[in-house]
Amino acid sequence: MANPAAAPAADAPHLEGLPRRYTSVREEFDALLRGVGLVDRSPMGRLRFDGADAQDLLDRLSTNDLSAMTPGDAVHTVLTSNKGRIIDLLLVLKHEDHLAVVTGPRRVEPVTEHVDFFNFGEDVEITDRSEDTAMLGLSGPGTRELLAAAVGPDVWPGEPGSFAEASIAGTRALLIRTDFLRQPGVDLMVNAVHQDTLRQRLLDAGATAVGAEALEAARILSGVPASGSELSEDRNPHEAGLADYLSFTKGCYVGQEVVVRLHTYDKVQRYLSTLAWEPADAVGAGVSLFADGKRVGEVTSAAVDVGSGAGIGLGYVRKAHADPGALLAAGSPEGTAQVRVTEPPVTR
Amino acid sequence: MTSRVRPKRPIPNTAVQLTESAVEHVREFADVEGKPDANLRVAVKGGGCSGLTYVLELVEEEAREDEKVVEEHGLKVFIPKRSFVFLAGTTLEYSGGLNGKGFVFHNPNARTTCGCGTSFSV
Repeated sequence: MANPAAAPAADAPHLEGLPRRYTSVREEFDALLRGVGLVDRSPMGRLRFDGADAQDLLDRLSTNDLSAMTPGDAVHTVLTSNKGRIIDLLLVLKHEDHLAVVTGPRRVEPVTEHVDFFNFGEDVEITDRSEDTAMLGLSGPGTRELLAAAVGPDVWPGEPGSFAEASIAGTRALLIRTDFLRQPGVDLMVNAVHQDTLRQRLLDAGATAVGAEALEAARILSGVPASGSELSEDRNPHEAGLADYLSFTKGCYVGQEVVVRLHTYDKVQRYLSTLAWEPADAVGAGVSLFADGKRVGEVTSAAVDVGSGAGIGLGYVRKAHADPGALLAAGSPEGTAQVRVTEPPVTR
Repeated sequence: MTSRVRPKRPIPNTAVQLTESAVEHVREFADVEGKPDANLRVAVKGGGCSGLTYVLELVEEEAREDEKVVEEHGLKVFIPKRSFVFLAGTTLEYSGGLNGKGFVFHNPNARTTCGCGTSFSV
């Protein structure tokens, strides 16, 4: 039976343009777990920042310490409002003479507008490179071996937080170690005209093309938040599980006072939680969660666990009810289904 | 029931003002830095906890074309026009002593300020 409630949202920005599946969901999901999956990551926005003040301005507007970045560094940072809310999660790549910035899908405009608002005549020029570049992601335990076979043994970008340039199929590519599904993972950024050649080479080397259903299941099980579903201006970085991208020693940035106060005084109200339920079609994104007759959270993403067939999801749950094992009622205080909070894949 | 409504404070159409004490301390810092004839640039840039942060800078060159110039107690003060809309009517004073905060901005345009007072939002 089809279960539309738990199907990946067709209009989810990070799944834009992806077919639901290429061959079989199980095969694609297994590739991500045990082999190498090839994911089209081009919906992510790509910006180029030029100018002497670019690094300093981004450092003043976001949560992580960008001041000490050197060429080859790739750092995640959260662009925050002055209320400490999430504008977007960014990946900043430091080149010799400019920065490359990867934004969330459909987030180029709000990110650019936000940065421009705070630029008072500083030397910063932003160019949207989303159309003329493409991004392909490899994820899974065999990623390094596959890259070696497809491109050559010396192209591995290194530890998470670094990137390298390589020549692949006659074109220049950036290889960024992002581990985007909390598995060994690399994003390859190339000129858009070369993406089909690169994609074919990676498939020929043994990568399995992954569609929306398998990708969404893997993302949810890994607890990776997506822009629009889990990351928005309604949320702060603590509750969205982005604590690894906060610096508490860098000094002031926009939103810092709120972000630090939430941490210092233990004021985080809710946590992004991994959830599970049965049957899979009982719960979908947007469903409210209840405990003791009160609304304590909501489901933000839902999919089917390809292995077990159970429903899995991400959602925000109030702290008192977000411990692993907690049972919540879905849909109404009486509950049309029971949702269980599962062990979080990341520390809070 | 009565409620007290605070009348909106009109934003003065004036430039940045410095108290005499603030000017004295700017001169003192200029001497320490070996720039006794320096002018002062007062500006705003993106950053700080609340979104906008103040910038004070000693400058030995003349004002740029995009800057307003005012003179306060004999000190030339340069204000970039893009910053002026956020600073109009601001008084800069110097709070000295062991517990003093140094230069303090009283900015009628600031809707909120951060705890340390160096950044604000409008």
